[in-house]
Amino acid sequence: MTEIDREDERWYQRAVFYEVSVRSFFDANGDGTGDIQGLIEKLDYLSWLGVDCLWLLPFYSSPLRDGGYDISDYFTILPEYGKLGDAVRLIEEAHKRGIRIIADLVVNHTSDQHPWFAESRQDRDNPKANWYVWSDTDQRYPDARIIFTDTERSNWAWDPERQQYYWHRFFSHQPDLNFDNPEVQEALIGVLRFWLNLGLDGFRLDAVPYLFERDGTICENLKETHAFLKRIRHEVDAAFTGRVLLAEANQWPSDVVDYFGDGDECHMCFNFPLMPRMFMALRRAQRHPITEILAQTPDVPDGCQWGIFLRNHDELTLEMVTDEDRDYMWAEYAKDPRMKLNLGIRRRLAPLVDNDRRVMELFHALLFSLPGSPILYYGDEIGMGDNVFLGDRDGVRTPMQWAPDRNAGFSRADWAQLYSGPIMDPVYGFQALNVEAELRDPSSLLHWIQRMLAVRKRHPLFGVGSFEVLSAENPSVLAFIRELGDDVVLCVNNLSRFAQPVELSLQRFAGRTPIELLGRVPFPRIGELPYLLTLGSYGFYWFQITETALTQ
Amino acid sequence: MISPTILAPRLADHLPRQRWFGAKDRAIEFVRIIDGEVLVEGWPALYRVEAEVALGDDTARYQLMLGLRPTGQTCEFLTGHEAAVLGEFETDRGQALVYDGLLDPELAVGLLSVVVPHLQAEHVRPVGAEQSNTSLVYDDAVILKVFRRLADGPNPEVEVTEALAEVGFTSVAEPLGAWRHENRDLAFAQRFLAGGTEGWAMALTSLRELYADPTDPAEAGGDFGAEAHRIGEVTADLHIAMAKAFGRAPGNADEWADLMDEQLKRVLTGEMAEGARRLVSRLRELDDAGPAIRVHGDFHLGQVMRTDPGWYVLDFEGEPARPLAERVRATSPLKDVAGMLRSFGYAPAVAMATQDEDVTALARAWEARNRACFLDGYLTRADDAAILPEDPAARSAVLAAFELDKAIYEVAYEQSHRPEWVEIPTRAVAQLVEAGR
Repeated sequence: MTEIDREDERWYQRAVFYEVSVRSFFDANGDGTGDIQGLIEKLDYLSWLGVDCLWLLPFYSSPLRDGGYDISDYFTILPEYGKLGDAVRLIEEAHKRGIRIIADLVVNHTSDQHPWFAESRQDRDNPKANWYVWSDTDQRYPDARIIFTDTERSNWAWDPERQQYYWHRFFSHQPDLNFDNPEVQEALIGVLRFWLNLGLDGFRLDAVPYLFERDGTICENLKETHAFLKRIRHEVDAAFTGRVLLAEANQWPSDVVDYFGDGDECHMCFNFPLMPRMFMALRRAQRHPITEILAQTPDVPDGCQWGIFLRNHDELTLEMVTDEDRDYMWAEYAKDPRMKLNLGIRRRLAPLVDNDRRVMELFHALLFSLPGSPILYYGDEIGMGDNVFLGDRDGVRTPMQWAPDRNAGFSRADWAQLYSGPIMDPVYGFQALNVEAELRDPSSLLHWIQRMLAVRKRHPLFGVGSFEVLSAENPSVLAFIRELGDDVVLCVNNLSRFAQPVELSLQRFAGRTPIELLGRVPFPRIGELPYLLTLGSYGFYWFQITETALTQ
Repeated sequence: MISPTILAPRLADHLPRQRWFGAKDRAIEFVRIIDGEVLVEGWPALYRVEAEVALGDDTARYQLMLGLRPTGQTCEFLTGHEAAVLGEFETDRGQALVYDGLLDPELAVGLLSVVVPHLQAEHVRPVGAEQSNTSLVYDDAVILKVFRRLADGPNPEVEVTEALAEVGFTSVAEPLGAWRHENRDLAFAQRFLAGGTEGWAMALTSLRELYADPTDPAEAGGDFGAEAHRIGEVTADLHIAMAKAFGRAPGNADEWADLMDEQLKRVLTGEMAEGARRLVSRLRELDDAGPAIRVHGDFHLGQVMRTDPGWYVLDFEGEPARPLAERVRATSPLKDVAGMLRSFGYAPAVAMATQDEDVTALARAWEARNRACFLDGYLTRADDAAILPEDPAARSAVLAAFELDKAIYEVAYEQSHRPEWVEIPTRAVAQLVEAGR
């Protein structure tokens, strides 16, 4: 076990993240809901898997009308999860194992149960009267789109108490904070300081494009928002080292890069459009949906990094595909209307790809080799399924399946007490699909992912190396080179269900020998002629292009 | 370097073995060396030769890029290219092996800066053999086409690409430089479309997916419809740019019909010929057949390339078998549209050839969908761009006639080159005739 190194300020560029919901992971006290102590008990598992950083979904006090993204007190832990001391212990225990922890932080809005809002709504001249965005009319900012189109009709909601409308970009029980008020800015920066002082390694900043509102705009990505994020970064850098800010800005890559600033805003941003494009590329059996979006993705400033993922706790986001693509994605992946939600698709990886092990492997190989730091979603490492009959986005937040025992080994509580039943269907049910079984089976997806992560860790180029797509006449093959100093890795991926040949122009590496990275098998030496490879159905290769002359 | 009297007879033997030699079926009477210049001095050397080939009643001029290395050197790059070797020669510098110099990486790299002085490269690779030129790709950044058969006047590939780029059409590979000698184009360098895929390969990928998972092509995972639509848009943009660059004139439908009748007479007989003639004769009845413009001339899925920014159009040389004057003649833009429609018929038939099961219904459904998508994309841009007949009925008549003409051309081509494929265009002719009844 190695402790984390605070001097390693750019650790996030090479890290593998693991997104986990405390509620869903492990219930240590047997009350039917996962808790922080439970997560502590499973840290050894995560350490074995090869995870570098945990991203915790919100664990603050909350009425839980939006999975904790409706915070009612930034300084306390949701009682079901534990106490503040548990959080401190979690951070310490994780750090002992070389694992860092970042936490979701919602800055745009609070719950309507937050005392700040309770005070603000009382009348128009209380001390917090201007902490939220109030208006006498619901016609202001008409160009701002409605994000939760399934449930919300307006970004304004009427408050009978104050007799005014308040602004909310998400659910109406989540009033937006007024960042034009310096007191609000101070309060939020105080929240950040509080958690960083406890040892937290950073934040995933939820819904950052929407902090400010201005007339005549769509109220997204405003310059005032960027200025405030730069201020946050400045405050963090001034007092702490080795921390990370990861922005959730669901925008086109050309807009998202603004959230890196000149390397003086957020350290990381999610690359949202990449993920739906990967699914499209798979269905079309050709690379262009992926290469197209990568070509449109600008370089990030020095010290910054993309966060990339296959699936996460939200639905498969379709906001960032074109309308034509969106219809296509819906048709392909959501034949059942229950699977559509807002503009996305709420499924886990395994059911999205018809539980095809080869595709799951190919997708993880892409996730671990495309530019960015990969973010795994809890349970996807064992190929967990989902429950589309649960409301909202809860279908992908069922209990982690640890064992074939009662309650999937997740909790010793009575079945009826569980916050949500574990998956029990014949394909994805916990009786057959669980961590214990996969640990025993050396050929399981879990072991495979663990091995891939170990290989990835040996090559920092996957995190910070250059990226170059190679020309290939075969549209089903996506081949690219990652390079950092003397280390060169060639990744070749077959997006088709059929075996495919490809000829690659590798003259630049003539005389060198490709060594397959999982088995260390040397392949024929590269010459002046095009390099011929054949790939099996959904096959992929990672080759290290070595100078070594392999002779007996 | 090499005495013409020694070289000429050896070329008579060498030329018919080259893919780019267009008169394989005719006897060479004699070869005359017209011009020779040393492009790269020393060993290896690159020697450019222009040779006139006498073929009975006409002559053709070919360009050779000969590589020379001293006898006894091993030339790994010639492995598998035995037809490209001319053999041992007595030269003014001693005994040498002479071969197609474009296969020699060292010489090919040297050639680039001869053709376009400001361009330099480290690596080169040959790409697919063409009928009329040999293409080399440098560092995945530049493609150089070395023309094999030379003609007086501008080569249409150079002329059209440069003119299109001039009027701001962005869907052609950017021209980087042409190499001319007297009034002949010898070679042409363009930006290489790295990472691109030919429409033909993408269509076959789409079809394989469909055949493996039978469904409505519009619902299929590998649906090509959106791409076909975009190809349609680019085709219309191409025609609009052509009209801008080369002008437009009123189309002469009688002249088009005359050419069609001529071909039809050669290829078809009996009832089929009768029906085809009826379809062509409708051209003659039109009051307005739309404008004539410069067109691509040999437009099909292999001539469009999907890159990350969008579709590009390639290769403006026209059908290589036709005389130059005919290739550059203005005609209806619907000739290109017809060419692409025929390609949407060919792709499913070719993909079907490797299937064990009968997928005819799927093939037809794919063709129907992608024809419709392509035409829809084309018309969204071309509809009011003054390049088509105003009257929709006239558009249909002109398009049907050109599609029929193309299919008849294909019948003739397949009969002499690939008899096993003749069924594909023959069925198309029958269908077009039937539809026009």
